[in-house]
Amino acid sequence: MSTVNPPKEQSLVEYRVDRILEEANTDTRIVVLARQDGVLDTFPIWVGAAEGNAIKLALDTMITPRPMSHDLIKSFAEHLNVTIQRVVIADVKSSTYYATVYVANKGVERTIDARPSDAISLALRAHCPIYITQDVLTRRSTTNLDAWLAKLESKNIGTPEVQET
Amino acid sequence: MITQMHIKGLMFDPYNNAYIVVLRDEEHSDMLPIWVGKSEAGAISMAMENVTPPRPMTHDFMKSFLDAYNAKVISVVITDLSEHTYFAKIHLMYEDSEYTVDARPSDAIALALRCNAPVFANDTVITKQSSEELEQWLENLKPEDFGKLDS
Repeated sequence: MSTVNPPKEQSLVEYRVDRILEEANTDTRIVVLARQDGVLDTFPIWVGAAEGNAIKLALDTMITPRPMSHDLIKSFAEHLNVTIQRVVIADVKSSTYYATVYVANKGVERTIDARPSDAISLALRAHCPIYITQDVLTRRSTTNLDAWLAKLESKNIGTPEVQET
Repeated sequence: MITQMHIKGLMFDPYNNAYIVVLRDEEHSDMLPIWVGKSEAGAISMAMENVTPPRPMTHDFMKSFLDAYNAKVISVVITDLSEHTYFAKIHLMYEDSEYTVDARPSDAIALALRCNAPVFANDTVITKQSSEELEQWLENLKPEDFGKLDS
């Protein structure tokens, strides 16, 4: 869980959350990341509706009457004097992205395994950068296509009779 | 005064299209229902059923975060009910100091279940609750609704 490996800065590309798309007929959202340096490239990540909403609240800087789950994590960090340094989308396996949250306190950096949705939700609230590793960027093209196809297929099959909840 | 409560179950409330987390005290004399949203109910039910998801869910990540710093959840307390909104406090122990963190009861309960931390409720909340919403809700409940409740 905790490592002291320094990040390989060269292999990271910074992204920002560009927008959240709703997929009609499904309980999913698409988080569209865009490159921070302005180079045209978008990186879509499929997440659940609740996860997408959590990101949207932060993106729109909505203040909710009560702290949402990621506000609570941020609050824990503040109480423990922990800084959320950055989040990195570091791996992809079977169309699932894996993220790592880098946290630091008293000069010691630790990493926490997370889903990209939790990592991004937290990054927006903590105002820390979001990176994708070059490795993931290189390997994503077929992954995206597979994900698109899987979604399209399930939608086409499901549309006539099955009502998604 | 606070009373320790046990999480007894989750019910679907067809009138409000929401879920109810049912808390009861040791003697089963007091019951505290807490209305939560669908994803919050999911986070609680996964912990109640000891389901280990392939990837950490939000509250698993929350626990990982606390574990990384050896911060312990000592207890959570459902503290107040006003305007149909509940307030909870999470009591943390970190490096010999205690911290109290404001939270929604749904987050507090989802975390407490994962950390095996006790859940308490302020007696004022229990009284308020039993006299207000619950009775009204039970009165409106028709027998045919009961079949759907255990989902």
